[in-house]
Amino acid sequence: MASQADAHAATFSAAELEFLAEDELIEIVPNMRMDPLNLICGDFGPFRPQIATQVPVWLAVALKRRGKCTIRPPDWMSVEKLTQVLEAERDAEKFQPLPFHYVEISRLLFDHARDDIPDIYMVRSLIEDIKDVRFHKIGTGLEIISRERTYALRLKNLSAMEANIVRPFVTRALQTFYKLNSPDMIQESDSVSNRQPQTANRGPRRQLKDR
Amino acid sequence: MANYYDIDDVLAEEEILPVVFQQAADCFGLLDSSDDTNEVEAGAKAELPFWLARDLHVRGVVAVDVPPYFRKVSRTRKEIEADAAHVDLRGRCQYFYELGLKIAPLVGDKTIGPFLLVAFQTRYKEVLVRAHTAASAVAPKHLTLLTNEEAKLYEAGQLSTAAFKKWRMGGPRLQRAPVLGRKRKPIE
Repeated sequence: MASQADAHAATFSAAELEFLAEDELIEIVPNMRMDPLNLICGDFGPFRPQIATQVPVWLAVALKRRGKCTIRPPDWMSVEKLTQVLEAERDAEKFQPLPFHYVEISRLLFDHARDDIPDIYMVRSLIEDIKDVRFHKIGTGLEIISRERTYALRLKNLSAMEANIVRPFVTRALQTFYKLNSPDMIQESDSVSNRQPQTANRGPRRQLKDR
Repeated sequence: MANYYDIDDVLAEEEILPVVFQQAADCFGLLDSSDDTNEVEAGAKAELPFWLARDLHVRGVVAVDVPPYFRKVSRTRKEIEADAAHVDLRGRCQYFYELGLKIAPLVGDKTIGPFLLVAFQTRYKEVLVRAHTAASAVAPKHLTLLTNEEAKLYEAGQLSTAAFKKWRMGGPRLQRAPVLGRKRKPIE
């Protein structure tokens, strides 16, 4: 995807994002004994049976595949937490804080560590719901670009995957609006503000959700 | 000015504009099909591509007239005011916005800018909704109404949504390179 498209040059593919997400730390409980691993990204371990330790997701998945550990799902992946987030997400206009890579990490854990997640069906459907609600919010939020003069969008609490999906669309739309909105084309509306210094002319930055 | 490396910019300048010759010109006969002589009289009407019309206009040889869809009183404007999202702009001019941006300073029509903006604002919403929801097979009818710019926008949204869905569905994570399966044919 990233190599295929020149127009979307700045876009990651979903697989690339998954790769980046694998650097996040997660807690595992090993069932084997091993010396600490000294890696470029840091030292992990030592690994002792039944003693929890923090490792990157890629390492956790690799160990899990070999049956050398169980993965402890992160705090935010519990049913109570997710239910809270879902409700807050439905009620509030703002996006709820979730881990930047929540889409990717949850998918990785669902794929490789399904026996370590309690209530996996519930958790999975909750995450799906949260994702759908957030996508709907993004969709309605993006309408704001067309209503007012917009030069930048502030995407607070938006996760990597969500930002990545809307990126090609949003950048293109902003570009086109910028071209059509340029002061050369639209004169009468701001003949006054043209005399002001250049900085005053840039307009406010919009929140994706700012009502 | 024109962007030399942008194919869309080049193609947008190919659009045909109606012009009126202000001076008589020799050797322009092929542009004016109404008579056989190789001359064009002053006041003759012709249709020229934008890139030619612009230069001749700057030199005062021709006066550029705006194409019907940019006129102040035209069906297109009325339709856009009524319901911009369902106007077939592609049929009128594939490079509607690009051309509009280029023509407006040339003919000094200040209403074109706001008109383009309003048109895009309304149509943007429609594209936004469709790009991120509809399955790719459902939308082709809507696609035929979009100008080049809008179609690209639609495609951008559609592609990234589709890529995400594909990733979520899973499937093989490692893909076999298409080169690998091929066997060299024995030379006989």
